[in-house]
Formats: sequence, C-alpha cells, structure tokens
Amino acid sequence: MLETSGKRGRMGQGRGDGHDGYPEFAAARAGHLFRSACLLTGGDTHLAEDLVQETLGRVYVRWGRISRVGNPAGYAQTVLTRTFLAHRRRHSSSRERATEVLPEVPGPDAGGDAPLRLTLLDALGRLSAKDRAVVVLRYWEDRSIEETAAAMNTSSAAVRTRCVRALARLRLLLGDALGEYARP
Amino acid sequence: MPAELHDEHHDPFEERFADALRDTGTTFATDQQELAAGGQARGRRLRARRRAAVAGGVAAVALIGVGGALVLPGVQGDGGRQRSVAGGRSSGQEDSAASGSAGSGASGVSGDELLRTFEKLLPEGKLSDTTGRGTADNPFVQGVYDDGRGKAAIALSLGLVQPGSQEAAQTTECPDRVYIAYDSCTGTKLSDGSALMILKGYEYPNKRSGTKLWRAELVTPTGAHVSAQEWNAAAEKDSPVTRAEPPLSAEQLKKLVAAPEWRAAAGAIPVDPRMTAAPSATTAHHGSIPATLARLIPNGVKVVSRSRSDDYEFGYVVVDDGRGKSLVQINVQPDMRDVEGELFGAGTRTLPDGTKVVRRKQGGEKGIAGIVMWTVDTIRPDGRRVVISAFNSGAQNTPATRQAPALTMKQLEAIATDQKWLKIG
Repeated sequence: MLETSGKRGRMGQGRGDGHDGYPEFAAARAGHLFRSACLLTGGDTHLAEDLVQETLGRVYVRWGRISRVGNPAGYAQTVLTRTFLAHRRRHSSSRERATEVLPEVPGPDAGGDAPLRLTLLDALGRLSAKDRAVVVLRYWEDRSIEETAAAMNTSSAAVRTRCVRALARLRLLLGDALGEYARP
Repeated sequence: MPAELHDEHHDPFEERFADALRDTGTTFATDQQELAAGGQARGRRLRARRRAAVAGGVAAVALIGVGGALVLPGVQGDGGRQRSVAGGRSSGQEDSAASGSAGSGASGVSGDELLRTFEKLLPEGKLSDTTGRGTADNPFVQGVYDDGRGKAAIALSLGLVQPGSQEAAQTTECPDRVYIAYDSCTGTKLSDGSALMILKGYEYPNKRSGTKLWRAELVTPTGAHVSAQEWNAAAEKDSPVTRAEPPLSAEQLKKLVAAPEWRAAAGAIPVDPRMTAAPSATTAHHGSIPATLARLIPNGVKVVSRSRSDDYEFGYVVVDDGRGKSLVQINVQPDMRDVEGELFGAGTRTLPDGTKVVRRKQGGEKGIAGIVMWTVDTIRPDGRRVVISAFNSGAQNTPATRQAPALTMKQLEAIATDQKWLKIG
C-alpha cells in the first residue's frame, strides 16, 4: 500500500538522465495533487498519498515528453484522476482495501469550518467515483466541461449529466449546511 | 463561443459548494518533500520494470496505460481563488495541439472536417465563433448559430460507448425528475435500432427558468454516441437570452444527430481498450438496490416511484404514507473501514452482530428550503456501510411538503440493518 521511501531520492537526482526539472516539479506540485486526491477519496488521506505517489511515478516515467510539450501540472492532474478511477475499478470488485489505516480526524490546525468539512467530505463520499471525479475537476480544478471530459476519457454529454446529478445530490445532502456557509 | 464566462451567481448553491470545496481542500496538509521523493522512487521502479518488460518482449504499455493520452487543459487551477475567466481557452490552436499529441491515427477525422460537416448539416443560417476538435481526442464541434432570429450557442460531440452497457442505456434514458427539472423528454428507438433521447431542459436544471438547453443523445447499436446541445443564448452561461427557444426543433435535432456522417466519424475514434473488457462481475447485482429498498419499505407506506438501477452503490424510492411524498435514499458501500472512525463517533451503538449504528437529524427550521434529512448510518464488521436518509419532500428540487419524513428513525434503522443488503454489490 504505502511507500516508505524516506527522504532518499530528493532534489538533485534525476539530473542528466532526461529528468531535468522533475524533482522541482514534483516538490512543487505534490501538495496540490495531494489535496486534490483527498477530495477525490472523500478524505482518505492514506489512499490519497498512495495515489499521488503513483501519479508522480507515472509522470517521472514520461517526464522527457511531458516537459517538452508543456503544462506538466495539468498532465499530472489528469493522470491522478485516471489513477483514482482505475483504483476504484479494481477495488470495487475485489473489495481489497487497507484495514490498518487509522481514521483521519482534523487536527486543531485544520482551520476552516470543521463540521462543514466533515459533512462535505461525507457527502462527497456518497457520490460514485466518477461523479466525484467530475465534481473535483469542475469545482476544485476549475476545468470546463470539455476539459473534464478529456481528462476522464468520456464525452462532454456524459460529464454534463454526471455533473448535474452530482450537484443535485450534493444540494440535497448539503443544502442546509451550505445555506449557512459564509466564506471565512 | 466562450464556454464559461465569469460566473455571476446564477446558481448560488454551485458557488457556495465550489467555495466550500476549495476551503475544505486547502485544509489537507502533508509532507510534500516526502511525497515527491516517494513518487520519484516509484517512477524509477516503474521505469525499471518497463525496461525489463521490453527486454523480455512483453508489451509495456499496460504499465503506463493510465496516463496514456496527453491532455492539455488550458488553465491549471491551483485550488486557489481564481475562477477561470479564460473563456477563450478552448481555442482552435490549443485543441489541435492536444489532438496532435494524442497521436491520432492516419484515418482520424480532423476538427476542421467535423466543423464542415456540422455546418453542412445545420439548417440554413450563419455559424460563427467555431471550435472543432478531431476524432483523436474527444471529438466535438461548437459555434454560435444564427438563423436570423437570434444567436444561439450550439455544440455536438462524438463518443463511443460499449453497446448494451449500462452507460449506453443511461445516455438515452430520460433523466429522473427527482434530480432534474425539465419541460419535456422523449425517448425513442429509430428504425436502425439506435436509441434517441430529446430533452428540453435548462442550463441550470435545478429550476425551470433561465437559459434553455435542449439536447439530443443518440446511441447506435454499435455504440457510436452522438450528442447535440443548443441554447437560446449565444453562450452556455452568463450570456443574455437572445430568443424564446433554442433554434432547432426536436425534429431538426433528431435529423442532425442521426446523420450518417457522424457515425462514420465516430468509427475513427480510437477505441479505449478498457471499453472492450467484459463488464465487471458485480454489475449484475447492482440493479437490485432500488428494488431491495422498495421491498423493505414497511406496510402501509406506498412506494410511489423508485430510481432506475443506474448507480453501483446508490438507489432511492419515493414513498407516500397518505400525508405527502417523502424521498428515501440509500447507499450501500462495500468496505468503508478506513473512514469508520470518522463516521461512527459519538452516539454510536453496537448491535449484537457487531454492526455499528448512528442516527443523525439534519436541517430543520434554519434550513433555507425547510428540508429535513433523517439519516441512519450503519457499518457491518466487514466494513460494508449502509446509510439511509429520508426527507420531508418527494424530490430534491421541490420545497418541503410535510413536517417530517414518512419513515421513523426506527423504521429507517430496520431497513439499513436488514440482511438483504449483504447480498448486494
């Protein structure tokens, strides 16, 4: 499940082997990818770490081409989404899932509105994996319908339908909680 | 056509949700350096395995399959505050770059060719502000169409679905009015076996007002999916309504999507190998969630309607006990032990068989829509979670129709802890 890679392989590695700039990229994007992954997994931070490492690993393998084409950040986000969906496909049938992990409870420094955070994560967790991916790409990544469709390898019509359905469910699950929500 | 211009709070919920999501997302923190290092280590192993596989004569594609097509979103959100105002980000230039990098085959159809077909098939009028993307990467065309009676955004996309799959059926099934408000929807079978749905709805489907969006979805027996959308405004969102209705009639929409040209183009779309895989073995069981829920509703409470079996882990019924409709929805999730501690905190009871149960009442007098939600959340020792919620309204888009849901907490708990759920999914 989780990689225990320690601190090895940090900055400086990857020079001269077609991976110029990769360590800097990974260090700069890991945090954002992790936050995206946490939303995709409905708050499962351990799975989120695993997905991000897998994503960065895949980006590493293709770094030469990715860095030449440009926008590696967008590429990595797309890989993350697909890695997440592939993970869900595998694990929804095998039911193999980590049992040793401890539940995450937001610490005192979590900031924001803690009860709302839990309500929101629970509501996300009640969407299907694909609906959740649509919601995260559209409202966290600010991607258009078309861009979301491209990232998910699906049609824009399918994204539109999913988005509408997911929002309708979220509206029902969160309506009251968000009704009182004012930006901090 | 600018896909999405600056938002102007047309849907307050959408805005509040986006804000709450961003604020929630930013609360997650981790050791970025460690994560980056772990990713690099994994990349090295992946590369080593890949080289070994190539050396051994085995196709290594599967190892990197997930990241296969290169996609270049124009604007990379940073989880920050900027709502994208880059309306022109779907420029033709960018699209062609994306298509090129996805490695289109020689037999692919370009965005320009699709646009020419689009223009040819539209009724007489002027098409401007066009964008087209070829068959190599999620083909679509869009533009602003003017038949002389007001500019209207119009778009068409092509895709593939697995024939006979749930997705294929769902694409052409009229949506449930529990979720979406619309004026009319018709589903028909064409003489060649294609399924066609024509939906006359709205850009913001939670209410029947504002910009109208009419859609036609066609799926052929071989799995080509042609989808057309038209609006009564020059852009999808935040653009003033220019005419009473979108320009193409239902009949014209049908003619547009049923044109053989699109099927030919869809044939040039690269097939995703995952689509040809057999449907998951568990799929067959999912259909029984709404049916099982309906069977478990107590005597004396009538089931008025229920969801189609279009979701792996979710279903709902609308019930009426004679005092008004009440929506009851349920999630059955296979293994949720990893979030058990978060969901089953204070107030949790443990039943003799080890099932944990917690009850929650949400909403009420402070609620903007007066909606009350009663929830019983349960988790079996094997991690299977069954969570049921009942509402004091028959649909998500109508105000409260009664004081309380039609089922008591006790009844909800009896449903959630029923043994039948162990056989689902």
